[in-house]
Amino acid sequence: MAKKSRQQRRVGKASTPGKARVTSPVRPSAPANTYTSKPVAIEFAGPGHRFESADLEILGIDHSQASYEGRVFFNNPKADASTPKTLDHGYAGSFYIFGHGGCFGDVGHCEINERLDAYDLRDPHPLRPTLARVPVTAALKQIAKSHAEISITIVPVVSAATELCDTKNVFHFQQMRFLTYNA
Amino acid sequence: MADNLRIRKGVHNLSDAEAGAFRDAYRQMQAITDNRGFAYFAGLHGVPNWYCQHSTDTAPAYYFLPWHRAYLYNLELAARSRVSTVTLPWWDWTLRPPRQSGIPKIFEDRTADGGKPNPLYSFRIDLTNPSIHHATRRQPGSADDLPSQSDVDDVLSTGDWTDFTLALESRLHNLVHGWVGGDMAIVAVAAFDPIFYSHHCMVDRLWWLWQVRNGNGSMPDDLLDTVLPPFNMQVRDVLSVNSLGYDYAAAQTVVPI
Repeated sequence: MAKKSRQQRRVGKASTPGKARVTSPVRPSAPANTYTSKPVAIEFAGPGHRFESADLEILGIDHSQASYEGRVFFNNPKADASTPKTLDHGYAGSFYIFGHGGCFGDVGHCEINERLDAYDLRDPHPLRPTLARVPVTAALKQIAKSHAEISITIVPVVSAATELCDTKNVFHFQQMRFLTYNA
Repeated sequence: MADNLRIRKGVHNLSDAEAGAFRDAYRQMQAITDNRGFAYFAGLHGVPNWYCQHSTDTAPAYYFLPWHRAYLYNLELAARSRVSTVTLPWWDWTLRPPRQSGIPKIFEDRTADGGKPNPLYSFRIDLTNPSIHHATRRQPGSADDLPSQSDVDDVLSTGDWTDFTLALESRLHNLVHGWVGGDMAIVAVAAFDPIFYSHHCMVDRLWWLWQVRNGNGSMPDDLLDTVLPPFNMQVRDVLSVNSLGYDYAAAQTVVPI
């Protein structure tokens, strides 16, 4: 068996939080899993409708692990990290997640606790999910000329991860929606 | 502009003497292990104290800009306690060659000031729980991938406070953290990289430029009384950079009267 490089040993499935020594974060060499949505109707963006700009809003994004760029592609489920970021490849825009790097604390440190009661005035847990809003106006207008529905593919390109991170399953979210704005 | 304001300059505009004073202040802070030192301040953001505030999707949670302004303010005062002339310089990531390309040179040189280790290049993290013992490193991307002036203008054109702070954080701030790579790209350890504070100084400057145009916009009233721990400041205390004693003007010339 070929000897694994240092980087290959260091990244991969998240290790158990605890007292392991954490070294300087690195860019993993292996690609992360991509996500592709089911087809979504985009009649709201068709030629008969007027909108000045459009965003793709992604809610409930986990930011507890690696940092990454989320590249958004329309109707290109085979897109990967090497796919050009151009309109003709379905590229619509990117969002950027500044990840916490895995759990550096003891067991339970990164579990998102709710308020105990109405008298619990402590700061909310910092790992409550975050959101991203990606301007997708040009790509949506372009694709709406010829398609009634599209699929959305998210390609996470990891910029840094520690031994505590899962670098394969990077992109976790709860909801995705289009927002259009009239002139 | 009020009198006696200290001026935060762009890294690209520092004179040799100013860059030397900046290094001197960081070098002295990095040698101090108590609560006046660099490690103390770095440890407030992520490990081991976790005070930093970033956006979540549950309102009201947009403390990102106010908290980091308070953070820089306190760090700058600590630096000025070492070298009284120092102000934090901002890293303008929009600059392109020949003015600058990628990481500014003063942060890239391994040595400075006659062969001494450059305190702006790296800082050694030594923590026991969690166990982290290494000098910070970077893995920067291509300089062309940094935000352009057009990207910045697009964010500055956002009129609503909530939309603006989210755009500034997620489309520019997060991108640059990831672009620098290494320790800077992970919340837990980012503030141990000496370039962190000049990156955030740029973010703070962009907020101030937005405020000059928009005031405080539609910032919710209930945000103003929010405390910014561990600093003895509320959001309302950090809305004006002039009230904190500094400005981002490129130059200040007093006209004799």
